[in-house]
Amino acid sequence: MAEVRKSMIKIKPKKYKVGDIVKVDFIVIHPMDTGMQKDKKTGKIKPAHYIDSITFSFDGQPFTTMKVWESVSTNPYFSVNYKITGKGKITVDYTDNQGEKNSKSKKVKPKG
Amino acid sequence: MKRREFIQGIFAVSAVATVTFPATLLAKESPSVTKGPNDMSFEEALKVITDGKGAKESELIKLTVPEIAENGAVVPVKVNVDYPMTPTQSVKAIHVLNTANGNARCADAMLTPANAKAYFATRVKLSKTQEVVALVELSDGTFIKTAKSVKVTIGGCG
Repeated sequence: MAEVRKSMIKIKPKKYKVGDIVKVDFIVIHPMDTGMQKDKKTGKIKPAHYIDSITFSFDGQPFTTMKVWESVSTNPYFSVNYKITGKGKITVDYTDNQGEKNSKSKKVKPKG
Repeated sequence: MKRREFIQGIFAVSAVATVTFPATLLAKESPSVTKGPNDMSFEEALKVITDGKGAKESELIKLTVPEIAENGAVVPVKVNVDYPMTPTQSVKAIHVLNTANGNARCADAMLTPANAKAYFATRVKLSKTQEVVALVELSDGTFIKTAKSVKVTIGGCG
């Protein structure tokens, strides 16, 4: 069973109207192991384990996709802009090189 | 052998030794694995991404990275491209690369007009002092790029 990862979608600023261009930040707890480091406890190489693909969608419509490699930092952070078109939901779907699939959503509630 | 030839000979040998020595020293410090599964040089990555077309330097790209990274494991990278984001003219993708990790590719953001601005930020690992490169694909099929050097005091690859 895939581990449910802790992640967070942040919309900045918190208050926005239809037509505003906001920042959408996504942070997820993930080791982003390069496959070249030793586990300090066991002495064995930790296999590569990193997020490799992310899709940002609004109400089911993708608006940004990302390809990610192991050179991205542990507990990675990603940020893009998005123009608010109305009420709805932003969903971030992401996969990692070990086949894990996860998803996180956040409601979009424009004021005016 | 004359004394001068002898000394020049020593310099020649030590010059060769300094070129090869660091590589073996690195291998000793990381005896486990020195080559990752995705390893690709920056030049190779540039060729692959631009399909051999290469990229022109452009001031339209604003690349923000720290001059000195205290921690090579977490280096913030921000890319802003001063370019329209309309259905007919837009930035298709922002590729963040490095020049001295085993794998030059860090992350790619494929954007759409819904983003409204060509912006992408993330945090990367840098194994040592090197350049971070923002390689940008435009809707007309051309590529532009810019690079900035980051001094790394503590390497970020473990």
